[in-house]
Amino acid sequence: MSITLDQVTKRYQGVPVVNDVSIDIGDGEFFVLLGPSGSGKSTLLRAVAGLTGVDHGRISLHGRDVTHVPAQKRDVGLVFQNYALFRHMTIADNIEFALRVRRMRAHARRERRRELLRLVALEGMDERLPAQLSGGQQQRVAVARALAHKPEVLLLDEPFGALDAKIREELRRTIRQVQRELGITTVLVTHDQEEAFALADRIGVMNFGRLLEVGRPDELYTRPATRFVATFLGAANLLLGHQTKIGVRFGTAEADGAGADAQAHREHEVVAVIRPEEIELAPEKRALACNYLAAGTVEEVAFTGALERLRIRLADGVSDAQLSRGPNGDGDARLEVTRTQHEQRAFGVTPGQAVAIGVRRIHVLPTPLSSFTAYAANAAQATYLSQQPLLVRLAARMHTRVSVRVTDENATVTGAAVVAAAPDSGERIEWLMKKGAEEVLVLPHDADNPQRVLIHWADEAARAATLAVAASLLRHVAAEGVYVGILPTSTPDGQRPHSMRALLDARSEAQAVHGLEMRTELHFGNLIESLAGRLAEMPDQILILGVSQISGLAARFEALLRAQARAPLLFVYGSRDPRA
Amino acid sequence: MKRWRQPSVLPGFGLTFGFTTLFLSGIVLLPLAALVLETASMSWREFLHVITDPRAIGSYRLSFGASLLAASINAVFGFIIAWTLVRYEFPGRKMIDALIDMPFALPTAVSGIALTSVFASNGWIGRYLEPLGIKVAYTWIGVTVALTLIGMPFVVRSVQPALQEVQRDLEDAAETLGAGRFYIFRRIILPTVLPALLTGFTLAFARAVGEYGSVIFISGNLPMRTEITPLLIVIRLEEFDYRGAAALGFVMLVISFVMLLTINLLQAWGRRRYIAAGH
Repeated sequence: MSITLDQVTKRYQGVPVVNDVSIDIGDGEFFVLLGPSGSGKSTLLRAVAGLTGVDHGRISLHGRDVTHVPAQKRDVGLVFQNYALFRHMTIADNIEFALRVRRMRAHARRERRRELLRLVALEGMDERLPAQLSGGQQQRVAVARALAHKPEVLLLDEPFGALDAKIREELRRTIRQVQRELGITTVLVTHDQEEAFALADRIGVMNFGRLLEVGRPDELYTRPATRFVATFLGAANLLLGHQTKIGVRFGTAEADGAGADAQAHREHEVVAVIRPEEIELAPEKRALACNYLAAGTVEEVAFTGALERLRIRLADGVSDAQLSRGPNGDGDARLEVTRTQHEQRAFGVTPGQAVAIGVRRIHVLPTPLSSFTAYAANAAQATYLSQQPLLVRLAARMHTRVSVRVTDENATVTGAAVVAAAPDSGERIEWLMKKGAEEVLVLPHDADNPQRVLIHWADEAARAATLAVAASLLRHVAAEGVYVGILPTSTPDGQRPHSMRALLDARSEAQAVHGLEMRTELHFGNLIESLAGRLAEMPDQILILGVSQISGLAARFEALLRAQARAPLLFVYGSRDPRA
Repeated sequence: MKRWRQPSVLPGFGLTFGFTTLFLSGIVLLPLAALVLETASMSWREFLHVITDPRAIGSYRLSFGASLLAASINAVFGFIIAWTLVRYEFPGRKMIDALIDMPFALPTAVSGIALTSVFASNGWIGRYLEPLGIKVAYTWIGVTVALTLIGMPFVVRSVQPALQEVQRDLEDAAETLGAGRFYIFRRIILPTVLPALLTGFTLAFARAVGEYGSVIFISGNLPMRTEITPLLIVIRLEEFDYRGAAALGFVMLVISFVMLLTINLLQAWGRRRYIAAGH
């Protein structure tokens, strides 16, 4: 491996900006770190270059641990967004800078400079000053300068940010070509997904300091695992559906063959991704060549050259399913559709026209916490609960919604249930789980953004479900995840190695199955006391607690619910056997 | 006129240029002309006699020598102060930033008296220097100290904005290319800041040459030893020797002008050289 990051964490004023990131980047690989601004990708790159220290974790280059090696000795080449050329030096002197530092002889320097200028197609520019070159040319010089000392890895920090579209494309091609020619391991940071697609062998998507997913561009586009990656890489319509054996059902529409999952043991709520180009329009249901989704009305048609962009309002009944709403989360939902010229000629549409909507391909996200539903004894309380700031923020970040429901005997429960923290929450959790809730969030009214997420499962059978929920939550908050293992003090010594192994297994399972990096710690003592003690340490934490026994839950955790009233508790039901 | 005129966002070239000329003539050139005229009324022999008087020669040496030394000290330490203020965040930074300008605001006589009381042989610092054989007050060292105090803000205030403009990225780039701290300072930071540093040096020097108020208290004013030229001019005036005073003033004018011009030319030449050779 060329670059290995192991649980790298960097905090600014206590807040993790790079949070437990682990990556292996292979020799000669072109790796793109993609994420919105503030996602920690540039900080991570600077950490690899040695310009920023890390608070935790290890960085190795070609098997050499460089975590504490200064930038001068790391042997990396770094290219900046604003070129960072030395303006008082000629191009020749800029390129030879690293060679001069290394006291290379003049003729050898000249030789190397010629070679590099040829590589970036700037022959004959030696005696110019940076100010006499165009932006694109300056960035080529910066690339040549970064490669002069034959570094082991090339790091590019938004190198095209300051350039206009045409130059950008040209330079992109040059960089790809240079990278192939030299076979140098390269990491590029960008917020532009098109750039990432054009250059990357593999892409790592970052958000809130976490590395969410790593994969080939086509893999990530067609089979994202998280809501963020689905919406950040290209446009996506997110719909809440119900997974059944024969397909995914949206709202009141009939379930159809699309997205069928024979493994689905029972109907449950899922988040489905439909790409705009996977939607087909036809005058009526029978004319569709693919699975029918719903009826709708064309609202907006925009011509953008090769593609036509449409916004379509779904017919009532199905429109409830839609998640990708306006910026406030309450705007009217519209389905985004793109169609090729060919499709336009086959069936032209105008605003106001009623159409049948078909879907060629549905991708179901393997993520829990599909939506939130606030439960309370009356509508006013439920509405109040649904407006709790932390809940609203979580829902917005998860691109999902918060519904409101009054507790009544006939209700069936889907998605994650939310109840207000109260002395009797134990009974409520028990009741909701019996009704089918897989996750119940007990929310104090003043809970704020968590800085730490504690993870524990009281029953081994709930492990998989708890890890899945923890992974999903941690992707949407800038907090560190800590798995708390608890060993009763009465554990015989012979049992202890076994418990340690279980702890390590939990960590590697989290990493392997969910790409979730978390800390692990082991406590000796009583379960409730240990958890309550950990929660009392600092404000702004969340505890995710996995259980597999619903009966007696209220009594079992009464002490915990009573002991602390500040932190939200997320109870997760999980069992090895599918619940009937 | 047409040829000089440059398009500008500020209207009224005629008005502003007129004002510039009037201002320079009335406030700067006219008094200087009067000085030259007064000097011109002397005969050559008389003039030479006044300006080559050993007492006058001694005063030139002190005035220009101490001013150059003070400006050089300021160039080094003013740079360090500016660097600290620009690059580091620490409690009281704003406070120290404001203190830099104090020598501007203080009447120079007050600075002089304050310095004298501190550096006199029974003063706070002077009493510890005395046993070491270092006398500050009433020697050329005291003069230099006073001139350093007066010139400090010029260097700090010239260098500060230039340092702020040195992009952090440039240093980061140099670091990843393998350069050590000193190398980065010498090859990246200094060349970028040098023009501003020279400007600050020039201003500090010019101010020191013309300084009067603070020096006369700390220098002790011993003829030939600690007497600066501006003081000698005042002494001549008090003796109603107006022409003698004018002659000395004329000499100061010429030497100052030559030195400032040299520095400016040096700076222009340096800038061209940096651009041409890239070092």
